[in-house]
Amino acid sequence: MSPVSKRDPRLGGGGGGGPDGELHTVMRGLSLQAPMPTDTGPAEVCPVCKSSRYLNSSLRFLVNPECYHKMCESCVDRIFSHGPAQCPIPGCRRTLRKHRFREQTFEDIQVEREVDIRKKVQAVFNKREEEFEGLREYNDYLNDVEDITFNLVNNIDVEETGRRFEAYQKANEKEIEENAQLAQQEKVSFSAMQKAERQQARERRDAARREENDERREVEENKRDVLNRLASGADAETVAKEGQQVQLKKRMDRQAATERQRQLQAASDSRNGSSNFVVKGLKAKQKAEPEAPIDPFGGIRIASKYFTLQDHYVWEGIQDTQKDVKHIAGGYDVRDYTHRSLCAAFSGLGVFIADEMTERDRATQDSEAIGTVRADIGLKDSLMADPL
Amino acid sequence: MKFMIEDLPVLFPYPRVYPEQYAYMCDLKRTLDAGGHCVLEMPSGTGKTVSLLSLIVAYQQFYPEHRKLIYCSRTMSEIEKALAELQALMKYRADQLGEVEDFRGLGLTSRKNLCLHPSVKQEKSGSVVDSRCRSLTAGFVKEKKERGEDVDLCIYHDNLDLLEPHNLIPPGVWTLDGMLRYGEQQKQCPYFTARRMMPFCNVIIYSYHYLLDPKIAERVSKELSKDCIVVFDEAHNIDNVCIESLSIDLTEDSLRKAARGANNLERRITEMKETDADKLQNEYAKLVEGLREADQARDEGAFMSNPALPDDLLKEAVPGNIRRAEHFTAFLKRFIEYLKTRMKVLHVISETPPSFLQHLKELTFIEKKPLRFCAERLTSLVRTLELTNIEDYQPLQEVASFATLVATYDTGFLLILEPYESDTASVPNPILHFACLDAAIAIKPVFDRFSSVIITSGTISPLEMYPKMLGFEAVVQESYAMTLARRSFLPMIVTRGSDQSQISSGFQTRDDPQVVRNYGNLLIEFSKLTPDGMVVFFPSYLYMERVISAWQKMEILDQVWKSKLILVETPDSQETSLALETYRTACSNGRGAILLCVARGKVSEGIDFDHHYGRTVLCIGVPFQYTESRILKARLEFLRETYRIRENDFLSFDAMRHCAQCLGRVLRGKDDYGIMVMADKRFAKKRAQLPKWIGSALLEADANMSVDQAVATAKKFLKVMSKPFPARMQDGISTWSYEQLIQHQQKLEGLKVYDTDNGEANGNGRHIHGDQIMAEAQAAEDGMGIDDDMDAAMMDLEAGRAA
Ligand code: SF4
Ligand SMILES: [Zn+2]
Ligand SMILES: [Zn+2]
Repeated sequence: MSPVSKRDPRLGGGGGGGPDGELHTVMRGLSLQAPMPTDTGPAEVCPVCKSSRYLNSSLRFLVNPECYHKMCESCVDRIFSHGPAQCPIPGCRRTLRKHRFREQTFEDIQVEREVDIRKKVQAVFNKREEEFEGLREYNDYLNDVEDITFNLVNNIDVEETGRRFEAYQKANEKEIEENAQLAQQEKVSFSAMQKAERQQARERRDAARREENDERREVEENKRDVLNRLASGADAETVAKEGQQVQLKKRMDRQAATERQRQLQAASDSRNGSSNFVVKGLKAKQKAEPEAPIDPFGGIRIASKYFTLQDHYVWEGIQDTQKDVKHIAGGYDVRDYTHRSLCAAFSGLGVFIADEMTERDRATQDSEAIGTVRADIGLKDSLMADPL
Repeated sequence: MKFMIEDLPVLFPYPRVYPEQYAYMCDLKRTLDAGGHCVLEMPSGTGKTVSLLSLIVAYQQFYPEHRKLIYCSRTMSEIEKALAELQALMKYRADQLGEVEDFRGLGLTSRKNLCLHPSVKQEKSGSVVDSRCRSLTAGFVKEKKERGEDVDLCIYHDNLDLLEPHNLIPPGVWTLDGMLRYGEQQKQCPYFTARRMMPFCNVIIYSYHYLLDPKIAERVSKELSKDCIVVFDEAHNIDNVCIESLSIDLTEDSLRKAARGANNLERRITEMKETDADKLQNEYAKLVEGLREADQARDEGAFMSNPALPDDLLKEAVPGNIRRAEHFTAFLKRFIEYLKTRMKVLHVISETPPSFLQHLKELTFIEKKPLRFCAERLTSLVRTLELTNIEDYQPLQEVASFATLVATYDTGFLLILEPYESDTASVPNPILHFACLDAAIAIKPVFDRFSSVIITSGTISPLEMYPKMLGFEAVVQESYAMTLARRSFLPMIVTRGSDQSQISSGFQTRDDPQVVRNYGNLLIEFSKLTPDGMVVFFPSYLYMERVISAWQKMEILDQVWKSKLILVETPDSQETSLALETYRTACSNGRGAILLCVARGKVSEGIDFDHHYGRTVLCIGVPFQYTESRILKARLEFLRETYRIRENDFLSFDAMRHCAQCLGRVLRGKDDYGIMVMADKRFAKKRAQLPKWIGSALLEADANMSVDQAVATAKKFLKVMSKPFPARMQDGISTWSYEQLIQHQQKLEGLKVYDTDNGEANGNGRHIHGDQIMAEAQAAEDGMGIDDDMDAAMMDLEAGRAA
């Protein structure tokens, strides 16, 4: 329970559309009428029934996230027990239900409300850092979410923002669900880890205490031992020395043992640790595929299968041209000429007119497929790949 | 005098050197050559500072690297002392070398001590001075002025811009006073002169905080290069300084003020949106681009810097959800509200940062990452808003620092909420301690950054503890005994009262009237036999108060009153300084006085009781820390888990270092003498933890005495001390002239040659080891030829003890 004292009399202004103004005056009025103990500041007063905590220290105040008007528990019982009713605060016409009343977590009612809104926003905008490729994008996203929240909190463009909100929710239903589950998992594993850690710390503490006790007991025993032996008449110096050595040895042994224990522990820790390790951070950047060389013909080979073009042909007609500076300077390549000539010579070799005629007949019947068939023919033509 | 250590010529500004000083210098050189860190314990009053300075200055002037020296000390007066020593040394060097070296040595302290502005310097509080100075010197104020607006500037600061930036002050060593005088003459600000000249200095002397506190270090000590030689003097408490620099306490009041600060920021943002929206937009754009403000580093008066250490700073853009100014203030408000609700819990809570963050996230949807950027974001916002009255935002700054730290470190910190001030209090007054448990965190960057860090003090035993706690490896660890021509101080452990019952300030016997009476008798006896001043240390204020009131009832104080004036230290520093002043007056005139004080108080740390100001120091009880403190408990647990230091070992170590500090208060030089009494049966077992120089002077027979035995021994001792002791008798034993030094060097050289001949020379053979020198000196001390009368006196003393 929160203490009576040290509450800020101001409750922050204008939450949920400004009815807090009245609250202020009510409170101020009351604090004037009934001067409160100076060091505790003005006590809280129920704005409905005017009972104050100063008189009744067990008074509890509740708020309803509908309008965030504060009233005492008994007022809530009285007004809302028989089903939903209107908020009794003057000027507020909202209908409230009893089961939604709850205790206030934050002193500042504004923050109380803000956190409620955030809860809603967070439930929807729950993208995770690892879903973004760049920090910039992630930050921009955070910025947007914050803008939306801020608008909702401060009643700026509520409708527009609400629309954006819903649109996003609809569009990302599945991811939202997934991320919520992830978050839940994380939470569970975190608290499990915390618990395990606490447990371990406790064990270590106990071990240290045990060790200390053992040591103390041993020292005592040793002392008794030495005394006994002295009593039985042994040489004082040797007894003392022996005693010390025994003690030293025991201590060393114990230290070695704890060291071993610790190493084992550390080893098992690291093994356990790796299983519930959560990877955080940005999503790995997807590398773009290396760009393929440009292929203007879309994979069609244009080299002829009937001939291969040679660099040189021994033929008078082109010998001179090949060497003529004027032609070369103009960018003319004789190979273009020979290529064209060869093409002309071989063209028609793979064309079968009869086949084409029947194809065409079929095409006219199936007018829908005509385009594709044409394309096929064209393809065959230029490929000249049809077997002879 | 001038001598060589290996190949290094050292100019030492005195005609004689103590053997331990020489040994200390040899070990220092060894450390610097090896390029590592070291821990050195040098008895108090044996000229540690001057040895340190003369060796390091010689080192930096002789070798071509000219490594810079950063000398850190704790208090203003220590800084001034060191500056004065340095000045004397440089003057001596100039005389000897026949030329003035090109050398700059500067001290830096807060604006409050160095400000010259006629009205600003009147301010009482340091933070107000800082804030007002900022409002007169910040970049945006200057810009306004250039635009022709009517704003005040500090002329002392402006004048600096007219000078060459690397030559703001002529070469030489400048004491703080000297700087103030020069600044007044030239009308230039001493504070900024020192700050800006730091990269061009050979020696910088300043307080620990400028290096250890990340909030300051980031700003002040950023530009120092790796090969600087860093010295932490009086470093026996360095782990606590480290821890304090990263710990934060929050109260309801400070949270309220912080909330007010956040509201103010919000208001300023709204105002600025109306008048100068561009500025905010600019800032926002920069943050979006992830740009750190380029001039940020050069902003000398920055509001605050990041409390997390440089290594841990994310070099990322500020997260999107606190980029906008209004988003950020809302964020801060939410965080503060959350902290307020945590304060309402009425039982003690201690939790780790991760679990705090988890809870925070569940309740307020604040994530870890924006939290980490809080400090940085706030600095940026304050700069953008051009706020000048920054002292109003101090609590907010604290909250932001807390946010950054809690989100940065998962381990080594603990949050402890204590709702009540004490166990008996019924009105809650909650404090949220954010306690740093690991001293190594704050000092780690120092060890990482600088190749040679020297940790030294008069009482830093056991030496291994420090490397362990602070997480570093020391190449040299050395503790020096004190060479003395006669036994000039007498440590004793008193375990029993005159009635043979044991005395102890332990918990069980604390209020036992018999113990209190025995302590009282001890006080009465020593107040009778001590000439002049006597200082008494209690483990705590609480215990002191109880014992004093018990003594009052037992009429013990009345008897003490007959021989001495009684003065008491209080937590109030003004009252204490008044008491001190009276004490000194009483010691200088008349029968002397007794000062009752506390082992962890101000007196035990910084005040010297040399000569007649302190002839006896009496430690009543072992000054253990208050173990019920939750923070201490957490730290003990942390030390055990992380560094394998056992709780009892640490507590005992800590008690003994404070005890040694107290004991060392009365012996401030070789010509001084004094009695050191440790009165508690538990001291008998802790002998080994005393610094070597005290431990080796504590004879077996003096380690377990009753009150009357101690009184008899002390009387004998004082009788010896009252005989005149000519300085020449110290010659060759506790001081060396040049010839004697050479003689020793030759002797060692001979030994070394012998070693090499035997094929035993290893890497270490190259260097002179301090412990060899000390062994030599000790041998000389043992076999010293003492004059007859002296001999007789010593015999007398021995005989007296045997009886
Ligand atoms: S610039 Fe210097 S002199 Fe001027 S106000 Fe600041 S500290 Fe003082
Ligand atoms: Zn009511
Ligand atoms: Zn309402």
